[in-house]
Amino acid sequence: MPKSQNINPKVIRKPQFIEFGKIPVNQYNKTIEEEKKLFSKEDFIRIYHDMVVIREFETMINLIKTTNEYNGIHYNHPGPAHLSIGQEASAVGMAYTLDVDDFIFGSHRSHGEILAKGLSAIHHLDEGALYPIMKNHLGGSTLNVVEKGFKGNIKDLAIHFLLYGALAEIFARENGFNKGLGGSMHAFFTPFGIYPNNAIVGGSGDISVGAALYKKINRKSGIVVCNIGDASLGCGPVWEGICFATMDQYKTLWDGDYRGGLPLIFNFMNNSYGMGGQTMGETMGYNILARVGAGVNPESMYAERVDGYNPLAVIDAFKRKKKILKEKKGPVLLDTLTYRTSGHSPSDASSYRTKEEVEAWQKEDSIIVYGNSLVIAGIAKKDELDKIDSETKELLTQIMKLSIDEEISPRINMEKDPDCIGKMMFSNGSVDRMEEGKPEVLLSLEENPRVKSIKNKERFYLDKEGKPVSKAKVYQFRDGIFEAIIDRFYKDPTLAAWGEENRDWGGAFAVYRGLTEALPYHRLFNSPISEGAIVGTAIGYGMCGGRVIAEIMYCDFLGRSGDEVFNQLPKWQAMSGNVLKMPVVIRVSVGSKYGAQHSQDWSSLTAHIPGLKVVFPATPYDAKGLMNSALQGTDPVIFFESQRIYDIGEMFHTAGVPEGYYEIPLGEPDIKRSGDDITILSIGASLYQAIKAADILKEKYGMSAEVIDARTLVPFNYEQVIQSVKKTGRIILTSDASSRGSFLKEMAQTITELAFDYLDAPPVVVGSRNWIIPAHEIEKSFFPQPDWIIDAIHERIVPLKGHQSKIDFSVEKSIKLNKEGV
Amino acid sequence: MAIPVLMPKQGQSVETCIITKWFKKKGENVSVGDILFSYETDKAAFDLESPAEGILLETFFGDGAEVPVLVNVAVIGKSGEVFDSFNPSSSETKPSAVSDASKAAEVVEAKKASEAVSATKEPEGKIRISPRAKCMAEDKGVDYSSLQGSGPNGRIIVSDIEKIISGAAASARTETLINTKAEFSTTAKTVYHAGSDYTEQPLSNVRKLIAKAMQASLQNSAQLTHHMSADVRRLLEARQKIKKDIASGKNQQDITLNDMICWCVVRALEKFPEVNSHFMGDSVRTFNKVHLGIAVDTPRGLMVPSVKNADGFHLRQLSVELKSAADACRKGNINPELIQSTAATFTVSNLGNYGVEMFTPVINLPQTAILGVCTIINRPANLGNNTFAFVPYIGLSLTYDHRAVDGGPATMFLKEIRDQIEAFTY
Repeated sequence: MPKSQNINPKVIRKPQFIEFGKIPVNQYNKTIEEEKKLFSKEDFIRIYHDMVVIREFETMINLIKTTNEYNGIHYNHPGPAHLSIGQEASAVGMAYTLDVDDFIFGSHRSHGEILAKGLSAIHHLDEGALYPIMKNHLGGSTLNVVEKGFKGNIKDLAIHFLLYGALAEIFARENGFNKGLGGSMHAFFTPFGIYPNNAIVGGSGDISVGAALYKKINRKSGIVVCNIGDASLGCGPVWEGICFATMDQYKTLWDGDYRGGLPLIFNFMNNSYGMGGQTMGETMGYNILARVGAGVNPESMYAERVDGYNPLAVIDAFKRKKKILKEKKGPVLLDTLTYRTSGHSPSDASSYRTKEEVEAWQKEDSIIVYGNSLVIAGIAKKDELDKIDSETKELLTQIMKLSIDEEISPRINMEKDPDCIGKMMFSNGSVDRMEEGKPEVLLSLEENPRVKSIKNKERFYLDKEGKPVSKAKVYQFRDGIFEAIIDRFYKDPTLAAWGEENRDWGGAFAVYRGLTEALPYHRLFNSPISEGAIVGTAIGYGMCGGRVIAEIMYCDFLGRSGDEVFNQLPKWQAMSGNVLKMPVVIRVSVGSKYGAQHSQDWSSLTAHIPGLKVVFPATPYDAKGLMNSALQGTDPVIFFESQRIYDIGEMFHTAGVPEGYYEIPLGEPDIKRSGDDITILSIGASLYQAIKAADILKEKYGMSAEVIDARTLVPFNYEQVIQSVKKTGRIILTSDASSRGSFLKEMAQTITELAFDYLDAPPVVVGSRNWIIPAHEIEKSFFPQPDWIIDAIHERIVPLKGHQSKIDFSVEKSIKLNKEGV
Repeated sequence: MAIPVLMPKQGQSVETCIITKWFKKKGENVSVGDILFSYETDKAAFDLESPAEGILLETFFGDGAEVPVLVNVAVIGKSGEVFDSFNPSSSETKPSAVSDASKAAEVVEAKKASEAVSATKEPEGKIRISPRAKCMAEDKGVDYSSLQGSGPNGRIIVSDIEKIISGAAASARTETLINTKAEFSTTAKTVYHAGSDYTEQPLSNVRKLIAKAMQASLQNSAQLTHHMSADVRRLLEARQKIKKDIASGKNQQDITLNDMICWCVVRALEKFPEVNSHFMGDSVRTFNKVHLGIAVDTPRGLMVPSVKNADGFHLRQLSVELKSAADACRKGNINPELIQSTAATFTVSNLGNYGVEMFTPVINLPQTAILGVCTIINRPANLGNNTFAFVPYIGLSLTYDHRAVDGGPATMFLKEIRDQIEAFTY
């Protein structure tokens, strides 16, 4: 909501018509004679060669999957194989014009794109650059296999390297590009500009936008191509990614040379089917996919359908589209028409299409047609092309032998190192800045109005006389987060933040107040209401090498970014074999007062997913220290903040919140109050209920409670908690999350295992009810209250003299509620 | 051929034992050495191992039943074997020892009691105890098998075990936290009467036996108590020295005030053999040796183990023997012979630790006297030359059976104990 742009009723209420420009469909009509001016013989033949390599590669895998044999070599590959036989021209055409620093992202059906981009990169890189890239990958273990006994030039060696790295990856071998941890649907090799493919349909739809943002914000050369299927246009993340990529602000509000569109091509590899659903005629309504561009922005995203069965038509289109991106008019939408003659996967019985349809496309096979046109035009002789065919077959036979040899290409040794995958889940880096450079800011820290105002605040909740400081004067929880974030903005030039209402408004809860003044648009901007893309773009930005803070305004909106948070963000570090880092902090604000869809604590959901660090501080001191750690790290962190306590002062760290930089390591719980008789372990803002319960226990029952604030859910060091339980013998756990399946249950179970012999009663969980959250006025019946904790202690742990329970924590009640599912 | 399982005879005077818990059910296969059931006498608990291999064909008594010793409890044999002849309720095998009708009634009562309490135990008779409480009990040698838990659903929790360990003087802190419940109820769930100000629990079997013995003592003898006090400065000096020696590493063994007093009592008994005796109704049995009984509080109730031939020990030896007897009682592995009232010739009961100033201990019949040791009180005393000062005095309460001993000798004996204390050298 920038004040610089006025929404004028006089203007926008005027009657008018929207005019749509023409969207070209299959307009390429050059003859091969004309193309001869642009391509050398070598170029023409290279295009043919690259298509043949892809065809043979896919044919090989198809034979292995369907007959367990290729060229007489037996092998069983139980894993996935989504092949793209028939789509070679579109892959090669896409990659042909791309430079090494142009990035491609892919789908589950991207073997062809990887090989095409890899071959293109090998062509573009000189040998001096090529060799170290190969040598440095995984300590040279991939290269060593193909280099042994190799005679030939470095470029040929690199082709062997590419094919072996990809195939070994598909076969889950340790020498594969990603140590075999990515596999067929996730193979990639970033030094060649090949970024992750994605097994989730449309998964690249918003991640690639983040990559384009990375290029733009950090002034990196190159463009990004998002290769996704036609059916993915029905996926939320793709639509959100398109919205995110086409925001007006790039062209209207971003400053100086940052102004202008994203260098991004949404390239829909349109083979007319989403698995078996026919997108044109059955499952979508666009008729021609390129039409969709018209609905997005006045430029119709420069959308165009191009004949993806003709490599020269695709190359022509990409050349023209690259020019548009160079003029900062992106992003662009390409509808690259193609067809897969192979099944969706080898188990595909083609029950959704006729044999005649497949045969009709086979007659127009791009490799045969293109090869013939080269022969007819006198560019290449038939036997030259045949030689390419037979040499490719021979080469792939050789590569396959290497890839399936258990000695040469073992899998990662799970026996020798049973935890080796565990070690790859997090990169656990400690990095001040992701890149050297001077961070772009608009004013010095000292000049910042928020920083100035914080200077006058009391950093402990009591003043020198021991009286509570007023809300207006106390250093608040939100100030702690702000201080950590602004500090990092002045340290790390790559750091950017986005989300809803982040700029101008300063975040819905005023955490970012003061950042708008400090930061140019490209470092802090408002996103569309696209939670999926807010996270997805952060993933793309992070995996390319930038540090980012994305914000989800209410935890309840996390569901909108489900795929990004559950499937993408946590997985890429390990699926890349630790090639990628993911320095992404997702701030998630946990609401209250606003009822069922604005007050839920879903920290347990994120803690359940391996690969995420999950933080939930409850005090300003912890918030600042933990945010500093999150921002110093290289791992994805879901950082929960409770809206109940944004304005709370520091009540535990008696020295107050330090002005300088300090880190609180993720994973260490903190004893907020010492005690001997019972341990109360709290997550998030429920710390304050736990403290109140501890007061009641002391005053009414002479019982001293030790209150431990979990601070972090993942990782979590249980040692301190176990120590406490050894002392007290009793533990009760509380948080605002609905109790069924909550992280408290996970903790209770773990504590039971680790400290069974020290327990005088089972760990008892006091979570929220398994209901909708009611209105604020009756919220107390939903969220755990201090009384509940006392009641639960009385009924489940140790009877308290003279205590009368209000809440029924009996076994019978528990069985009844579970039976009812509430 | 089927083999009967007999209730063993644990100790000479044991007539009946109570089955605390069956571990095997009728119809189950058992092997030699399997624990069939646990049982207890009035003072100790035991497990019974299977004497044979086969099927547990029948059990004649359930949990909680009081069974005369050497009576068939069960039969082990092969499937289909006839075992009716082993049934103790069939007339021909009825042992003469239990012809007494009142005994039979007791068996029934015990059975009832155990049925009433089954609610607090798991159906299969498992004891509900928290892991922490269990570890603590095992560590401290506390027998929790008959303990009533104060936790939710009758779970035995740490405070219950702590209460046992620290005896009646449970820590004040715990007291405020926990609903205090009567101790040593076997298994019975406390019944809360809505709106009333009391709770009611059936007696445990051990409690019943103690009650019976104490009542018999007061009803069947002519007891009275003399009180006297002794200057304990020498004992306290000795105690200081012992502590100092331990601290300096010169000595490792602790010798308590009680040990020293017992040593003085033994010396006095040597001089007054008529108190070192059993009153047998029509005769008095005077012992040449001193077998000293000491009263010990245990989770199962009061126990009085005997230290045999205590007159033959040095102070240091006596101290060791007293400690090991008390520990064995607390752990529940005391030789049952030693806790028969006939095993000791004289008993010392010390309540000094609890601040008791004087009391009237009850004689453990057929012994003829018991010494109660009380707390130390500072009193003004003439140190000579009319110099008065406060001197620590320990209270001594001697209960004696006037049927066996007259007031004169009893007083002389008590005075001898005093003299021994005041002349004590270490």
